[in-house]
Amino acid sequence: MSDHNLLPAWREQSLGRRVFLRVSAASAATVALVAAGCTTTTPEPVKVDPYLLSPLPAGDVGLFYFAYLLAIAKATIFQKVADAPPTDFTATDRAVFTDLRDHEVIHRELLRRFLDPKGEVALLPADFAFSLTSLSLTTRAGALAAAQQFADLAAAVYPTVLPLFSSANLLPRTLLLKMSSVHARHAATLRNLRTPGTFAADDVVLTTGVLAGQLRTKTPLEVLAVLAPFFAPYVISAGNLPLPI
Amino acid sequence: MKLISLLDQLAAAPATTATPRRALLQHLGRAAVAALPLAAALPAAASTNDTAYDALTQLLLLERLQLAFYTRALAVPGLIPTAQTADFQRLRTHQEQHVTFLTQALQGAGSLVPALPAFDFSGRRRVASNPELFPNVLSDYDAFLALAQQLEDLGVRLYKTHAFAVVNDLQLTLAVLRLHPVEAQHSAHVRGLRRGRGVVVENWPSDSDAAITRPAAAQILTTAATGGEENILQYQTPGKPIVFSDFLLIRDNTAIHDSALPEAFDEPVNSAIAQAALNLFF
Repeated sequence: MSDHNLLPAWREQSLGRRVFLRVSAASAATVALVAAGCTTTTPEPVKVDPYLLSPLPAGDVGLFYFAYLLAIAKATIFQKVADAPPTDFTATDRAVFTDLRDHEVIHRELLRRFLDPKGEVALLPADFAFSLTSLSLTTRAGALAAAQQFADLAAAVYPTVLPLFSSANLLPRTLLLKMSSVHARHAATLRNLRTPGTFAADDVVLTTGVLAGQLRTKTPLEVLAVLAPFFAPYVISAGNLPLPI
Repeated sequence: MKLISLLDQLAAAPATTATPRRALLQHLGRAAVAALPLAAALPAAASTNDTAYDALTQLLLLERLQLAFYTRALAVPGLIPTAQTADFQRLRTHQEQHVTFLTQALQGAGSLVPALPAFDFSGRRRVASNPELFPNVLSDYDAFLALAQQLEDLGVRLYKTHAFAVVNDLQLTLAVLRLHPVEAQHSAHVRGLRRGRGVVVENWPSDSDAAITRPAAAQILTTAATGGEENILQYQTPGKPIVFSDFLLIRDNTAIHDSALPEAFDEPVNSAIAQAALNLFF
């Protein structure tokens, strides 16, 4: 079975997860009333939250969606900083951000292609965006802090995501593996620009125990929780995503 | 070939219990059997290069090599500038932790842990009359950095090569996937240090990187470290390269530079090429 036959149109499916729960509850109540021999009344129409996107799909497709959302986040920051570099940026800073933007746009568009091979489907609402308003990207310190935060997130979550793929075709996850170390390179590069010598520092690498020397990882749900306020007012539910091992 | 993971067992223990438990893995792939004294009696086909055992021992060899390199470099007075001493102590610590982890994984599997080779960073393979392939790597900081970069790049690629090789052991797969980005952070850092000293080099393998000049006999290391990084052919389905131009450069904000495409994907290394490169050092 192809990974790409399950493309939900984000706008068209109105029964988001929360809505589904409300409907389920109403149905249960109806069943209870019928069982009690009472007549039922027509339930009131459930008001659909216009900003509740349909849940991320299950299986590999959901993982691609997740990676796509994270790539949107990184690419949006890198693009903004590359387009309007802080006045105190060095030449090196500018060159690095141009490269980061290029890499991340490639990742974002490749992931989009995984989800929509023909480039014909609106995967997200037209006004869906990663909001930059809470980030201060006009100073070097602010731009590097924001970029590092999301580069660290990407580096930390790919090792968790990669083993969750189930397709027999290893090629898509191999591409994500090839992107995984690029994310780690981005993180180390930004860390060193921000504070020299903070590559692979103790806040991102485990220092004790059997796993000492390995990257501290995050789950997709932890990352989505960080992303959530930036994608507001849209709400992304991830209850169908494969759970980390 | 069912693998019972050391780490699966550890995962069931409280997080604070860090003590590794012995003998939890009964077998670590076919080659573990091949490591027994009866190995000579087994058909040659039993010793492939793609078992979990081969993957772990090759990664262990690489980590041991890196650990020895940083340990020796840190012991040479004045080789590493004071400002960078802490950086290389961190690299050394990580490689030591990786060696410990891989050793314990093998021991936990009841597998043979290969003897520690006597490393020779000159490239003479411990024969004084052999030509020197890596001059001054333990006396000149720039030569040291260049070799460090190649070994870290090789590390990133070798973990990639073996990432899906331990398919029967999810916890070990996870560990390989967590070690892989640490090597990438090391590589990005060493590359940044070299750029700071005037070398034309990015934090990721790039077509614009200045070549590291080596004698022909050492070329296999360059091939192992960065050969093929210029690759622009990526695959989503077998035999059908992704046509990036179909979806890049055609939308707003996707006018990317040509050099970025190969940079956006780090490549794995052929394990035989990696082995040939590692063999230069002992």
